[in-house]
Amino acid sequence: MSEIKEVAAPRRRINFGFDKYSGIYVWALLVLIFALWIPDLFLQTSTLKQVLTFQAISAIVALGLLLPVAAGAFDLTIAGTLTVSVCFTAWALTNGHGVVVAAGGSILIGIVIGLVNSLVVVKLKVDSFIGTLGMSSVLIAIAYMITDSSQIVLSTSGYAPFFEFARTEMFGLPRSVYYAALIALFFWWILEYTPGGRYLYAVGGNPVASRLAGVRVGRVTMIAFISSGVTSAFAGIVYLSTIGTATPDSGSGYLLPAFSAVFLGATQIRPGRVNVPGTLVAIFLLATGVTGLQLAGAPSYVTQLFNGAALIIAVALASRTARRQG
Amino acid sequence: MTSATLATSALSVRNATKIFGAQVALDNVSIEVAAGEVRALVGQNGCGKSTLIKILAGFHEPEPGIEVLVGGSELALGDPIASEAAGLRFVHQDLGLVGNLDTVDNMALGQGYITNATKTISWRKERSKAREALAALGYEINVNMPVAALQMSERTAVAIARAMSERGTPPKMLILDEPTANLPGPEAQRLYQLVRRVADSGVAVLFVSHHFDEVFEMAESVTVLRDGKLIDTRPVAGLSEDELIELVVGRKLEEHDKGQADNREHGEQVLQLSGVGGRNVSGMDLTIHKGEVVGVAGITGSGREEVAALVFGGHERSGEILVDGKALPQNRPDISIARGVALVPAERHANASLLDQTLRENITLVDPGRHVSLGILRRNPEKSDVRVWLDRLSVKPSGQTEYKMNQLSGGNQQKVILARWLRQEPSVLVLDEPTQGVDVGAKADIHTLVDEAAAQGAAVLVCSTDHEELVRVCDRVVIMRRGRAAEILRGEQITVDNITAATIGRDSAEPAA
Repeated sequence: MSEIKEVAAPRRRINFGFDKYSGIYVWALLVLIFALWIPDLFLQTSTLKQVLTFQAISAIVALGLLLPVAAGAFDLTIAGTLTVSVCFTAWALTNGHGVVVAAGGSILIGIVIGLVNSLVVVKLKVDSFIGTLGMSSVLIAIAYMITDSSQIVLSTSGYAPFFEFARTEMFGLPRSVYYAALIALFFWWILEYTPGGRYLYAVGGNPVASRLAGVRVGRVTMIAFISSGVTSAFAGIVYLSTIGTATPDSGSGYLLPAFSAVFLGATQIRPGRVNVPGTLVAIFLLATGVTGLQLAGAPSYVTQLFNGAALIIAVALASRTARRQG
Repeated sequence: MTSATLATSALSVRNATKIFGAQVALDNVSIEVAAGEVRALVGQNGCGKSTLIKILAGFHEPEPGIEVLVGGSELALGDPIASEAAGLRFVHQDLGLVGNLDTVDNMALGQGYITNATKTISWRKERSKAREALAALGYEINVNMPVAALQMSERTAVAIARAMSERGTPPKMLILDEPTANLPGPEAQRLYQLVRRVADSGVAVLFVSHHFDEVFEMAESVTVLRDGKLIDTRPVAGLSEDELIELVVGRKLEEHDKGQADNREHGEQVLQLSGVGGRNVSGMDLTIHKGEVVGVAGITGSGREEVAALVFGGHERSGEILVDGKALPQNRPDISIARGVALVPAERHANASLLDQTLRENITLVDPGRHVSLGILRRNPEKSDVRVWLDRLSVKPSGQTEYKMNQLSGGNQQKVILARWLRQEPSVLVLDEPTQGVDVGAKADIHTLVDEAAAQGAAVLVCSTDHEELVRVCDRVVIMRRGRAAEILRGEQITVDNITAATIGRDSAEPAA
């Protein structure tokens, strides 16, 4: 049996590994690099605003993903749910329905998708990766059906009140940024300060032990999927209000960045488990890097490069940290 | 012994010795088995029987001075390929089959397939080869089904058929480890006949066993080992069960052996099982009172492994469980817990621990809502609560609520799991192998905690393979045999030897009182 590890570090070693605040240091380093490289483009308040706005929707999707991942499940339907929500809201608005019906309907769709995911994963016992992968394909098809395989554009004049939802600025930042902040606060409270949060992490850590300790594993997983569905649906409403156009392709760029942010975030602030502050740091870090490079003239595919590399590096470092601790 | 006798022996072992560091696992053991003879190898845990088998299998290298002849030819030791080439064939307790492959594929494992001229597998020939092999053992099964779907005795037959197949040299001796351990009664009978067939074909059979049924029904002779030494080899005919027990345990068992006589106050009935059954257990009746500590003993396959989970009520079962007079639904651990039943499961890593979470999170898993006020879980009161429990159970290092579970030693981890449940003040505390992988100091601490729990009025059930532990803490010990509660030992009857003897004895005709 392993003996108790000495926690007080007797030897000073230069730690080249990822410690729990390294994300912040790396972010600061990136800011420094870009500030020196392209100072006139980078060091503008408009840059910060661009970063935040650009990331608000992404952040909402990533935060929604936290609950299923904490509970040990993959939810690959987040992008598809966002897309269906965008398309449905646009369709409803352009077909004479009010904002309440359009938005309410999208949230309802998010709940239904979450329920179907739980049915597949909990009752039918399909692996969550495979199950949600299949489901996401179904959702894209539904989006095509709703938009009749084309796009729906909301004219600025016709839907001004709806655009106010996300675009109105408060203290220089659009409301979408505040929505993301509120959602972050909400999930942070759930994960850190409620029994529900404990159950989520327990199910993710050891479902057998959790069950024997009285945790309703199936129910916890279901709630995780439903909240992810609702959050992604809400992200869709914010997306439409920000961008104004709905296509069956709207959500495709949000899947990988969300996973990158969540897994990179798991190495930060509260290392070893996915967490809200870590995810926010990761989102910021990735966004700063991408925005800086784009301002410096890099082609647009630099986003995918960054996010993909970040995901691989994050997971590799996470398992290295786990091995060092255990 | 004449050289003629030696030449006809299937196996002749002289002076087998094996030392592991300071421990003498085998001390100058010699055995001899004739061709076509069925020999049982018997002894308590740690007597050396598996060491002997592993030496024959080429897994261990014995000390010099040993001489092993298989069918008259000398065996090169420490080499599994040589053992197989010499004609020794092994079937271990887990059978070594691949569940999702069918019989044909399993029989080809390690041997290769019959191919035709174009190097493709000749499935027809393979299938008939498989069927013939099984028919020779008296079995007729669907050779195209995945073996996981076959019955246990059919799977054992497949494993034996594979062992018996010709591979270069014909098999001279079949060595089985606990062949009927996981078989219910009628299937065990089929296996006895199978072994008879193997022996009749001229192949000797040596089997390791804890079950006296196997010994008396299958074997012609029995070799008894104790503490690494050969005690005796006797013919089974004319041997009584008491004599065999005496050889295994080493002394005559008196009618009322001295043991612990705990005088605990027992209150009213708290837990009542009627006709409870699961996968390996059937028709179990049991009553436990407040303040009582009841033990459950039994060898592998006796059903002991399932009792704790059945009593907790978290799995599917037949029969009825009443806690304080109210029926417990099956498959609902959360309801069992709400009614005051607690389970400390065996194999804590798999079943109880959240290894990379803090001690605080591990201990509060059952009731995390205890320190919630105004919708927020208050960390500081929680930490104080947990610190009290870490102290009470002497978890070392002390007071470290934020340590990760995997930073503690096994004994301390087990105490943390115990803390999780004692914090709930259960009326029924079920412990499954409570000191598995636990150091001596922590073991004593845990036993004291069991005493304290009972003193405070809990009804305690301890399922364990550690007979000394049962003697230390129990007022009564239920002996499981072949899925039933076969016997109950009380008071002075509770001794290590009595428990051992009872768990390996034959099925008694009468159920437990």
